[in-house]
Amino acid sequence: MRISRGFVLAAAVLTSALVVTGCARDTGTQQGGGGGAATECTRNSPPAAAGGAATPAPIAPNADASALKVGLAYDIGGRGDLSFNDSAAAGLEKAISDLGLQQANTRELAAAENESEDAAATRLRQLVADGFNPIIAVGFKYATALQTVAAENPNVQFAIVDDATVELPNVTPLVFAEEQGSFLVGAAAALKTTSCQIGFVGGVDVPLIHKFEAGYVAGAKAVAPSIEVDVDYISPAGDFSGFNDSARGTEVARGQLDGGADIVYQAAGASGQGVFEAVNAANAPDAPKFAIGVDSDQYNTVAPPVNEVIMTSMLKRVDVAVFNYINAVAAGDTSVLPEAFDLSVDGVGYSTSGGKIDDITEQLDAYKAAIISGSIQVPSERQ
Amino acid sequence: MTHLRTVLLPPVLAIVFAALLCAVALLISGDSPITALTVMVTQVGEGTTAVDIVNSAAIYYIAGLAVAIGFQMKLFNIGIEGQFRLAACVAAIVGGALALPPVVHTLVIILVGAAVGALWASVPALLKAYRGVHEVISSIMMNFIATGLIAYLISTDSFGVLQGNNISTDPIEPTGHFAGISFGASGTIFGFVFVAAALGLAYGFMLNRTRFGFELKASGESPTAAAAGGVDARRMVIVALLLSGAMAGLVGLPELLGRDYAYTLTSPQGYGFTGIAVALLGRNHPVGVALGALLWAFLDKSALALDNVGVPREIVLIMQGSVVLSVIVAYEIVRRYELAAEQRRVAAQLRAAASAPAEVAS
Amino acid sequence: MKILYGMQQPDEGTISVDGELVSFRSPADAIRAGIGMVHQHFMLADNLTVAENILLGAEALHGMGTAARQRIAELEGTVGLQVGPDVLVERLGVADRQRVEILKVLYRGARTVILDEPTAVLVPQEVDELFATLRRMRAEGFTFVFISHKLDEVRAIADTVTVIRRGACVGSADPKTVTSRQLAEMMVGSELPSPETRESTVTDREVLRLTGIRLDAEGGGRPVLDGVDLVVRAGEVLGIAGVEGNGQTELVETIMGMQRASGGTVVLSGTDITRSHTLRRREAGIGYVPEDRTRHGLLATQPLWANRILGHQTRKPVSAGGFLGVLDRAAARRDTERIVEEFDVRTPGVDVPAAALSGGNQQKLVVGRELSGDPVLLIAAHPTRGVDVGAQAGIWDVLRRARADGLAVLLVSADLDELIGLSDTIKVMLRGRLVADADPATVTPEELGAAMTGADAEGAA
Repeated sequence: MRISRGFVLAAAVLTSALVVTGCARDTGTQQGGGGGAATECTRNSPPAAAGGAATPAPIAPNADASALKVGLAYDIGGRGDLSFNDSAAAGLEKAISDLGLQQANTRELAAAENESEDAAATRLRQLVADGFNPIIAVGFKYATALQTVAAENPNVQFAIVDDATVELPNVTPLVFAEEQGSFLVGAAAALKTTSCQIGFVGGVDVPLIHKFEAGYVAGAKAVAPSIEVDVDYISPAGDFSGFNDSARGTEVARGQLDGGADIVYQAAGASGQGVFEAVNAANAPDAPKFAIGVDSDQYNTVAPPVNEVIMTSMLKRVDVAVFNYINAVAAGDTSVLPEAFDLSVDGVGYSTSGGKIDDITEQLDAYKAAIISGSIQVPSERQ
Repeated sequence: MTHLRTVLLPPVLAIVFAALLCAVALLISGDSPITALTVMVTQVGEGTTAVDIVNSAAIYYIAGLAVAIGFQMKLFNIGIEGQFRLAACVAAIVGGALALPPVVHTLVIILVGAAVGALWASVPALLKAYRGVHEVISSIMMNFIATGLIAYLISTDSFGVLQGNNISTDPIEPTGHFAGISFGASGTIFGFVFVAAALGLAYGFMLNRTRFGFELKASGESPTAAAAGGVDARRMVIVALLLSGAMAGLVGLPELLGRDYAYTLTSPQGYGFTGIAVALLGRNHPVGVALGALLWAFLDKSALALDNVGVPREIVLIMQGSVVLSVIVAYEIVRRYELAAEQRRVAAQLRAAASAPAEVAS
Repeated sequence: MKILYGMQQPDEGTISVDGELVSFRSPADAIRAGIGMVHQHFMLADNLTVAENILLGAEALHGMGTAARQRIAELEGTVGLQVGPDVLVERLGVADRQRVEILKVLYRGARTVILDEPTAVLVPQEVDELFATLRRMRAEGFTFVFISHKLDEVRAIADTVTVIRRGACVGSADPKTVTSRQLAEMMVGSELPSPETRESTVTDREVLRLTGIRLDAEGGGRPVLDGVDLVVRAGEVLGIAGVEGNGQTELVETIMGMQRASGGTVVLSGTDITRSHTLRRREAGIGYVPEDRTRHGLLATQPLWANRILGHQTRKPVSAGGFLGVLDRAAARRDTERIVEEFDVRTPGVDVPAAALSGGNQQKLVVGRELSGDPVLLIAAHPTRGVDVGAQAGIWDVLRRARADGLAVLLVSADLDELIGLSDTIKVMLRGRLVADADPATVTPEELGAAMTGADAEGAA
């Protein structure tokens, strides 16, 4: 008797909690018509093309890396996450094929979920102990551990992706101007939308993802000042499950699509697959819906037919950074590396696979040139 | 003595069984179990691993004790996770904001941690005592709420400070640190390790020597007999869960006061769930939980070496899972066997005693 | 009996059924051999219907459809069950529940039925009905093993009697020729104990006074207790007679504070304890021998000395007092040894778990504990239920001595001989009310039984 009453109450609490979160998710979405009732967007014309956007020259000529022993410490997921870690792995492979790095002289270790700080340090120390130099830490979670281990081993070269807080001479930060790439796909979304409403799905509500959001919103507003951008995060800060929960990705994206958005940009790691599926399900010939991928060219990595809805991807070229870093170490000079991998060095960018944005590349390239030249400043924090 | 056998046999059997299972799994995947074991054992001597094991074991131990307090009266405080995370976060914020003399500063942070843990546990406690809401459900809900609350607390709009791509609370001044014992390149043992040991002693004393401990065990063994014996069930639920929560509030402090000095986005999680496993392994016994915590920490830390030799580290997860399962099964089997044996033994002794002087009135 | 039903394995010896040697590793084996058991404590699910209770665990036999119902209908006649198969078990009386239990074992194909103390919970009229059913079934070819310590009943129903004492067969007898006294002497090994109390020791000092005690049923309906008034004086044994489930359990739990009275007052030695907590009541001097010692009296896996602490955790000698409530384990041990000695608890030591003792010895331990710490009132609910004859005599003796020392005793029992033999006054409880008084000097079990069932109008007058 008593227990069943308890369960009923708990169930009630549970239900109402779900309702509350469900409501909270629709930030600023109006009761828009889910269908094709297209709102007309007033669109600005792109900036005057300042000499186009040519492929930038390589940062440094290829050096010989055959003498190096390169260690990689991945973030959670390791190789095979179809995203960030895989991108770093691609950079390593490019170094093997182009720079003469020996496969046997590389080692890749991956982090486990919820591990303590000392596990990260131990992983780096193991690589040091086995003679690897340079060592590349993939992910800002290594920052504190790297601070300790790099200080202990001043003769070993380290690099860390996505973090610039470790200020030691033997540590090279590999950070990206995610907001610049996101600006371009935001502009693309604004150019392609028919409902003048687009969406952004972030994995976890953390500063790194805020950069994606800030650039995306800025890009969209640069094209269409009146555009409505729905912004939702899958999980709150501190709960990293949002990067690895495609079911909730689907749910959140569906909410935006139902609210009237017709293009959704995901910066949600492995949850992105769920976003693509939601977009694919909502896609109809008379009311086409699109998704925008992140990190790598997801038109090529996501399995068909779902990949057909990916009109472009914001490229974050961790592979470029990793390759250039190994190259620079091989040449003995890491100072040639840029402070941030941005549009100007192809550290970020957008993909055109699938041909869905061929009609607007000219305008996007104009924006790209304007950013490189500095005439457009992209904010890296949300407004 | 049979008692010792009852206590030691099940975990030994379970570990052997789990190890065999892992060996089979390794053989199937084409790796050598011997290599894996050797690598794991030698890893203990490498770098800071030995110290890391002790430090982690202390954390797991506190978490295990927090769980064990509830388990004694069959209360399943699955909310240790939320209690410890929120407590660590609030303790870090308070500790970072205060400027106090040494020792006092540290003590204040510890008290804040315990208080926040107890406060967070008080919601399921009161719901259970006065409304009969099952504590598993309510404390799981509290875990979710804690996650949201922490996200709010450490956001840059509240108490967080942006550090690169991470967010951190204001670091605690050195006055608030809990000094450890440094072993140079082999790492530093947290001072909190000794607090954990003291907590274990206190737990053992409370359990075996005090009225509260007796009432706790009695309520767990038979709520009806406890009620007839004058144990206030409602009070026991509240006090047990509050104590469990206060203990949980200390789980995050060894790292906070001994190494990290701030709560960040990447502060570790999952200790609450490790605590459940460790308490199960140790059968809620103060020494057993300590051994369970050490075993768990050893598996966790030396597993890092497996990647180096190309053995999938997931084998350790298999080991951890199977060791918990088999310990539970082994305890149950041995318990039943021992009870039956005891009954036979008592009967046999009485028969022998009775047949000597042929007296009456059994 | 547990061996016969496959719940335990014999260390030596054999069992044969229909001339064939069998060995039972589990109750399932025993059932397969056609042996069924009706436990003293019914094993029925209250919130299931009669048919569901019967089918539970035996779905494989005749399925759960028409075939099964037909089989139940056939067997209902055999056991004399009048209610339909779709009635909830919680609505049945004790006698009908027992029939359902028997029906359950028959449904599983039993031809030999073990009945463990089947009459302990029945009033005399119901016993007669049960015996009629058993005789009819015996004529149909069923075999019964009837376990009882009520010797008249054994003589009335059995074809042969085997007496077991302390695990050994002490002899067989022909029920037609043997007397109850002879049987009892075989059981005890010496002269017969009896529950007779001698001269009255009742004083005029009131120890317990209940005034207008009411206890509302959970979820409304007829109150479980309604207007109960009673007084127990020092040196008096007040007996409460009644068919089980008429509020005796609740009455005892209300006095103990395990249930809160909805109305009325409980006064102990002049102090109102109506709102006091159980522990306060115990500290004020109430000892409590619960009706179900395994549920309410003992911590089965804890050693005897730890069980000594239960209910005394705040009092000397087991508590050393102080802010932390530190317990004195050495004192608890010593005092447990005293109880073992004084109350003749048969155990190899005080460190064995309570579950290792036989029921009788467990009960002696409980009685010894509840008489520790100089209580002024002892509440004894079915103090000799499920206890062997020797322990029963010992417990009766203890109660008699305590009464002579001026203890007030509230005795609830379903054993009418025990009630009549021990009590100074008997009150009959029916549907939560005290409906009749009886003088133990003159009343017979049959008269008491009639008053308990409400069949006797003048008893209520």
